[in-house]
Amino acid sequence: MLLKTVLTRLATTLVTLFGVAVVVFTLVRVAPGNPIAMMLPPGATEEDIANLTRLYGFDKSLPEQFAIWLSGVVQGDFGTSITLRQPVMELVLGRLPATLELSIMALVIAVTLGGLVAVIGARKRGTGTEVGLDLTNGAVLSVPDFLWGLIFVLLFGVLWPVLSISGRVDPRLDIDFTSNFYVIEGLLRGRFDVVGSTLSHMLMPAMSLALPLAAMIAQLLKQSLKEVLHLDYTTLARVRGFSETAVILREALRNAALPTLTLVGVQFTFLIGGTVIVERIFAYEGLGNMAIDAVINRDLPLIQGIVILFAALFIVINLLVDLSYTLLNPRLRHG
Amino acid sequence: MKPHAHTLDVIKLNIALPNGRRLLRDVSLTLEPGEVRALVGESGAGKSMIGKSVLGILPPNVTITEGEILLEGQHLNMMTPATRRKTVAQSAALIPQDPLTALNPVRKIGPQIVDPLVRIQGWSRSDAEARALDLLDRVHIRDPKRVMGSYPHELSGGMRQRVLIAAAFAPSPRLIVADEPTTALDVTVQKQILRLIRELQQETGTAVLFVTHDMGVVAKISQKVTVLFAGKVMEDAPTPEVFTNPRHPYTRALIAATPSYADLDRPFSPVPAALIKDLHARIAQDDMLYTGGRR
Ligand SMILES: Nc1ncnc2c1ncn2[C@@H]1O[C@H](COP(=O)(O)OP(=O)(O)OP(=O)(O)O)[C@@H](O)[C@H]1O
Ligand SMILES: [Mg+2]
Repeated sequence: MLLKTVLTRLATTLVTLFGVAVVVFTLVRVAPGNPIAMMLPPGATEEDIANLTRLYGFDKSLPEQFAIWLSGVVQGDFGTSITLRQPVMELVLGRLPATLELSIMALVIAVTLGGLVAVIGARKRGTGTEVGLDLTNGAVLSVPDFLWGLIFVLLFGVLWPVLSISGRVDPRLDIDFTSNFYVIEGLLRGRFDVVGSTLSHMLMPAMSLALPLAAMIAQLLKQSLKEVLHLDYTTLARVRGFSETAVILREALRNAALPTLTLVGVQFTFLIGGTVIVERIFAYEGLGNMAIDAVINRDLPLIQGIVILFAALFIVINLLVDLSYTLLNPRLRHG
Repeated sequence: MKPHAHTLDVIKLNIALPNGRRLLRDVSLTLEPGEVRALVGESGAGKSMIGKSVLGILPPNVTITEGEILLEGQHLNMMTPATRRKTVAQSAALIPQDPLTALNPVRKIGPQIVDPLVRIQGWSRSDAEARALDLLDRVHIRDPKRVMGSYPHELSGGMRQRVLIAAAFAPSPRLIVADEPTTALDVTVQKQILRLIRELQQETGTAVLFVTHDMGVVAKISQKVTVLFAGKVMEDAPTPEVFTNPRHPYTRALIAATPSYADLDRPFSPVPAALIKDLHARIAQDDMLYTGGRR
């Protein structure tokens, strides 16, 4: 039973990734813009162009190119970046930690902030506080992530410059880490200067990504909480002497969390998509920033690598969401 | 705390909706220690509202406009909400109507009984667990250990109601409000549950406010009866007297309307519409004179 689920899941994952690969591969090649022309200095001869085209295999037919690329991919070779002249795999994996740390920090902020507002809203249901929180939520929600980015740059980078507005870490720090997970490895090594600098660089972009999601979580979770707080088992908890806050946290929250979990799962993939622009705004050295450069430079192998990685990431997130369902809801555990 | 003869005193209780609609009209009743009082009346009469007023779980739009509630001599509606909550939890418990919705679906049975004992009553965890096992055994649940580790959806409706009865008796309350505890169950299970509540009630000497609309149940379980109509007490008397010598015409009509298993040939007669109309008219008259607690 479980084995069957896992196998089905694995098969659909592979089919999905293959589909994504086909689409990306085709799209980047039919889109206008010649990668070879971008690489050569002005005044290159026809012959130079022909040579390079052959070198990168762009003279072959599309299916042939795809077959060559795919046979490399299954061996873990995603080709070489045209602009950076390094293996795509290395480049992408080098940037992935920065984007992962940023997205996860944004997610943590969104869940904490949204959860807190939801609990307060449910606790103060029917009062002016709830109305105030609802209005604030609506306002926050109507501003997209990149605009939050610009607002933060203006507020804390220009008007009251307390936070660094570009980069991932203070370049003066001497960092000899084995991975690019600055926060995680910094914590493990006790390099709190690196952790602090990375976090302070991450704060504004993470907040920009987190705020719209936090508002969504606050709204949906509060609604679910209010529904659960009518149910008999919460009434019984009150009779047994639990305070309203205890009833919300102990009895209602887990039951109310399921719809929010679905939302978070779906929205987290959007959030990761949002890193592309937000990383650009804050010159944050992550995958998204690299993706924009790759597109501008028509770096086809790099674009393909990044897109496949994003797709794989989305699939993993959905898998984790499904798993946490089972943890939250005992009825799904059997059968 | 001064010693007090009564477990519960409800004195001239009035509750109303924001639009002024009265849900309870000068309701008074008492429960002595170890006594079972049945609260009867048709649907919508306000039976549940009395229980909810006592336990402090009225819907947010319903307010107490006048009257006193004393639990073991303590004035509940003079307390701050937090004190009131603790006082009620110390002395009273609820057996709910629908066992399917009264247990938290994502938590195991054990913690749902044990947690209030530990966190509210201040027992040690081992004492609380022993108490839960003991009570599950006393409500005739085989294998209490396994049930403690189960989720509600793994138990039948009857089993869940047994669990809820065990949970209600666990902190040794002086008063239990049982709000139609058998209505949601199969007929065959109803009798067992009723017998179980009576059994535990007699063993522990807990006073019970038993809400029902079934006169047959009233006869079996209670020593006193309060008959309620449209939020107003029609009759308050010892149970045998109510059946042998009902004083109020509405009580008589209710008894006549109860299908009797002993005497199947006796004709079944619903409460006459004329009587209901007459009662409503009198209540409307009373309401015109009512000052709503503002004197
Ligand atoms: N949340 C609420 N808001 C407004 N009115 C309510 C609310 N709950 C109940 N009522 C009204 O209060 C009155 C008394 O309700 P209550 O639940 O006490 O009746 P009951 O005697 O327990 O009836 P039943 O046998 O159906 O349970 C009813 O007329 C009902 O319409
Ligand atoms: Mg009721």
